[in-house]
Amino acid sequence: MRRVLLVLLAGLLAFGVFAVAQEAVSIHFLHAMKAKHSVYIDELVAQFMAEYPYITVTTEYGGSYGDVEQKINAGIVAGNPATVTQLYENAITPIAEALVPIEDSLTQAEIDDIIPGLRDSATVNGKMYSVPWNKSIMILYYRKDLVPEPPTTWTEFFLMCQELTVDLDGDEAIDRWGTCFRPYNPEIFLNFLHQAGGTLLNEDWTEATVNDDRGFLAMDYVASLLPYALVGSDYESDMLAANQIVMFVSTSAGASYNISAAETVGAELGFALAPQGPATDGTMIQGTNLCVTEKGQTQAQIDAGILFVRFMLRAENMAYWAVQSNYLPSTYAAYESQVWKDAVAADPKKAVMADAMKVGFGPLNHPAYSDFRYHMTTRWEEVILGAKSAQDALDELAQDFAQYL
Amino acid sequence: MKALDWLRQPRMPEPWRDPNYWKETGWAYVYLAPSLIILGLFVFYPFFSAFGLSLFKWSTVRPPGTYIGFANYRYIFNDTYFWRALAHTFIYVGISVPATLLVALLAASLLNKPLRFLSGARMSYFLAYITPVVAVSMVWRWMYNWQYGLLNHILGYFNVDLINWLGDPKWAMPALIIFSIWRYVGYEAIILLAGLQNIDKMYYDAAKVDGASGFQVWRKVTVPLLTPQIFFVFVISLIGSFKVFTEVHILFGGSSGPLRAAETLVYYIMSEGPLGGRWHMGRAAAASVVLFAIIFAFTLFQMTVTQKRVHYQ
Repeated sequence: MRRVLLVLLAGLLAFGVFAVAQEAVSIHFLHAMKAKHSVYIDELVAQFMAEYPYITVTTEYGGSYGDVEQKINAGIVAGNPATVTQLYENAITPIAEALVPIEDSLTQAEIDDIIPGLRDSATVNGKMYSVPWNKSIMILYYRKDLVPEPPTTWTEFFLMCQELTVDLDGDEAIDRWGTCFRPYNPEIFLNFLHQAGGTLLNEDWTEATVNDDRGFLAMDYVASLLPYALVGSDYESDMLAANQIVMFVSTSAGASYNISAAETVGAELGFALAPQGPATDGTMIQGTNLCVTEKGQTQAQIDAGILFVRFMLRAENMAYWAVQSNYLPSTYAAYESQVWKDAVAADPKKAVMADAMKVGFGPLNHPAYSDFRYHMTTRWEEVILGAKSAQDALDELAQDFAQYL
Repeated sequence: MKALDWLRQPRMPEPWRDPNYWKETGWAYVYLAPSLIILGLFVFYPFFSAFGLSLFKWSTVRPPGTYIGFANYRYIFNDTYFWRALAHTFIYVGISVPATLLVALLAASLLNKPLRFLSGARMSYFLAYITPVVAVSMVWRWMYNWQYGLLNHILGYFNVDLINWLGDPKWAMPALIIFSIWRYVGYEAIILLAGLQNIDKMYYDAAKVDGASGFQVWRKVTVPLLTPQIFFVFVISLIGSFKVFTEVHILFGGSSGPLRAAETLVYYIMSEGPLGGRWHMGRAAAASVVLFAIIFAFTLFQMTVTQKRVHYQ
């Protein structure tokens, strides 16, 4: 009799634990993906909810990355942010205290599977607070009708830009430039800086090194390209569609827009690794990470949020998302998946992007990076608009940085 | 002796002794309550809150952060870009407010004439104001395009070289001012037109009898009798112009123009705050308090000095 009672009691306890674990929970996923991409998010969310029927995920398009960042910050202040969200690493660092240190909830295999550079840029005070999700990389776009073989070094790129900058209608004014620079896009300078072997700060972040010899080499190279570069705030795709530029280094996320733009002038677009600088050919990896907020969430919501992020990190889901959205996987397993391999076989430009990822570098994960970027934008613009020399602009940039170190 | 004359005056009955006084006052406050509550919540509380915030180094995780006294004020007063933004704002206000008013005055005078298609003309003036600013800014962005824009196309007929309106630091502020005049002239013209239509015809008849010319009538009769509306429009547009932001943000594609040539004070506030993810809310609040002080001083000046020249009848 006692044994029967014990079995019944154990059964009841097990049922109770199961019932608690299965308690319905709702989480809110705030993202910045427009309708074209949010369709695939909804598909993945539907799969997640089928696997975890007690979790309801409400997805919301929150506008641009900046809008989502503002909403999350406002939500944290008000005590009710979305459970899962999509933010740049440098937007995550200042609010890390309000987020779940997700590294504690990942298996070692999951952590090791993330590309190391991306893991580093997701790490705050020694722990990952987010996982890389929609990543893109800077690559070289070029018009195949005008550039039979893409340039592979800075020197080749310079010489080709010189040759490709032309007056098409004989009015002694340039109509088509070899390349272009946009004032509000200082990331392109970070590419040159990295390729020249330079960094923004020294290793322990106590001193600005952006104005050293390598920094000057990078900015001086930019200045030397200015006669052959169209400087304007329009998107590269608009300049391409207007037959104003031939090649440029930009994010792989804009590939579909750039392909369409080239088609409007009857050209086929080529893709290649960015021309190699004196130190390396690595370019900047951009894009956002997924994170789970701790503030304003119940434990059940936090657990559900972590499950959701881990689900998105799975190789098959990461590969599916990358193939559909034209972003790049951030885990080794996703690159090894059949979904990704099939996609690369069908679309060779994905192979170029994947190769670029292998040598890519992430953004500096300093708490004041947004300030650094703000000052970089100002100084970068001063150089490309010819308002300041490369050295003056870099010296002033180093002074700007000093106030945050 | 004269100084004490008031003592000999019969004393006025004290209003609060009247039993109806408290009743009427009570009802007055009941009627005022909705607007007082809204103003309190959305104007007074944010203002005092902003002043408080300006004394802190902001933290999103632990708002409002660390108390740092007037360090945010010291920072902005030592920031070259703050002073540049202030100078840009004064240039913008100093040119766009009087220019818009002048054009609106001329437009209102024209719209007051018995013209054909008058209602259509009045509507077309007002259309610019009621269309959302983001939409019209986008249209003007295209009109200002240096290669394909309508403006350069028209100027081309007069052999004017292509002007890089939005890409050349020299032209950024003029581009903003021209757009602003176009946008607000209709609104101001409609208010002035209402004032014009309220001027008694007898003044014009009298001026005609005295042999005044058309311009003399406009200068000596129309403008003085229109001063209440001019004053109102002046104050409103001055306050509004100090707060210009959206036009800049959209016109220059999410920036403050080439080399920050059209960075106004509100744009500076936004760029220190949430715009670009910098979140220096304390600095932004400090700059907001400075902006408030400037607008307050100007409004006070207008109320005390300019109003003496306003003729209500």
